[in-house]
Amino acid sequence: MRVELRQERNRLARWIQEITGENVNLCYQCRKCSVGCPAAYEMSLKPHEMMRALQLGLEGEVFQSGTIWMCLSCETCNTRCPQDIDIVRVIDGLRELVMSGRVNYFNPHPEIPAMHRLFLKLVQRYGRIYDLGLAFIMNLKMVDPFKDIDMAWPMLMKGKLKLLPHKSGGVNELRRVVSKVREIEGES
Amino acid sequence: MRYAYFPGCSLSGASAQDYDLSLRWVCRFLGIELQEVRDWVCCGASSAHASSRLLSVAVPAISLSHAEQDGFDQLVAPCLACLSRMKAANQIFETDKALRKKVNEALEGGYRGTVKVFHPLEVLLNDVGLDSLGEKVRNRLPGLKVACYYGCALTRPPKVCRFDNPEYPMSMDSILRSVGLETLDWAYKTECCGVSMMLTRADMVVYLSHKIIRAAKEVGADVIAVCCPLCQANLDMRQGQIADKYGERFDIPVLYFTQLLGIIYGAYSGELGLSRLIVSPQRALENYGIL
Repeated sequence: MRVELRQERNRLARWIQEITGENVNLCYQCRKCSVGCPAAYEMSLKPHEMMRALQLGLEGEVFQSGTIWMCLSCETCNTRCPQDIDIVRVIDGLRELVMSGRVNYFNPHPEIPAMHRLFLKLVQRYGRIYDLGLAFIMNLKMVDPFKDIDMAWPMLMKGKLKLLPHKSGGVNELRRVVSKVREIEGES
Repeated sequence: MRYAYFPGCSLSGASAQDYDLSLRWVCRFLGIELQEVRDWVCCGASSAHASSRLLSVAVPAISLSHAEQDGFDQLVAPCLACLSRMKAANQIFETDKALRKKVNEALEGGYRGTVKVFHPLEVLLNDVGLDSLGEKVRNRLPGLKVACYYGCALTRPPKVCRFDNPEYPMSMDSILRSVGLETLDWAYKTECCGVSMMLTRADMVVYLSHKIIRAAKEVGADVIAVCCPLCQANLDMRQGQIADKYGERFDIPVLYFTQLLGIIYGAYSGELGLSRLIVSPQRALENYGIL
């Protein structure tokens, strides 16, 4: 396949540098990231291939592969990268582009950004994680209401599930900080 | 030794109350004072850093600022998700002046970045020391083989964590060895258990946890010791699903390192929440007259 390299076409590499300070062109394809990645088996585009696609500005390949949502943020790639590229930060930057709506591509794993949104929504409501509520709503969203139900009974028996959420005394402050963050981000 | 204590959602909720109980017991026993951070809020975990860098720093900085305002310069976070988010927030505070300014614009009381964040393993190593840890032993568990599982976020990324070896950590091993336990050499100490997919891709969590547990069993572990409530939840609670999917039933107890220390230091089972473990440690410990 012939790839046309034009700087203006590669807005993605530029955005990544703006958002994260990371230069994707430092990658020389040693593949250490992909070899150590525990989630690579679920990625059609492996981490080193994603880095190459970023260098080439292949937005469709990067986002439609869903690689950014399969990353577990375990930081193994970062620990081993000989070029000291913060690959997890690059992935977070790509996620930010999706979550803020700056790019809009088909995503094979829509449930994962949906989970992040729900997580943040519940954290803003209670100031803490309400695990049972989070699990229940996610199961409904994924149309799999009884997912992990086999774990619920032993957890209940061992006192590992709280039925009702617990509210933090800091929740109002948290809500104000989050809306201030949104305000600052809207300005920039 | 006085620390601000950030239990986080798992330890303050029901799922890891045993970690909270055993950590508080061990700290009391060793003379480490923990004071819970006033009105702390969730660290934002992976959902905050997947959506905005500013948010991922501002949210943990709320609790850090409370500790700072209350006069603490050291904080303990026993959950690896909280720990890494708070260490990352401090790192960014040190290095990124522009972002620091924005965070302080969003925060109400402001944060100066003076609260150092530690995992309990760091506190035991640095403040108590291996020699003193070994002096207080009351129970011995000869022959019990322990595989120490550290998870990914205790030591990674090394620039942020600044603790232990990122590929082959030894802190938990040396602590448990100092109190007379036998810990094993194995290759899965820092392999990720996949917890960020807990609610969305349970199949990945089961796949990854299976590999870790099998590796521990292969080197002859009787129990796995962990230092994070999320690792513990995956490795302990998923063993039934692992048996269903891969046809291998392990029934290997997954204890917090603080529970093992508590046993060694003579705490009662109830003080350590041992009955809350899904895979009971009874069989592994019955020869020692502990349970």
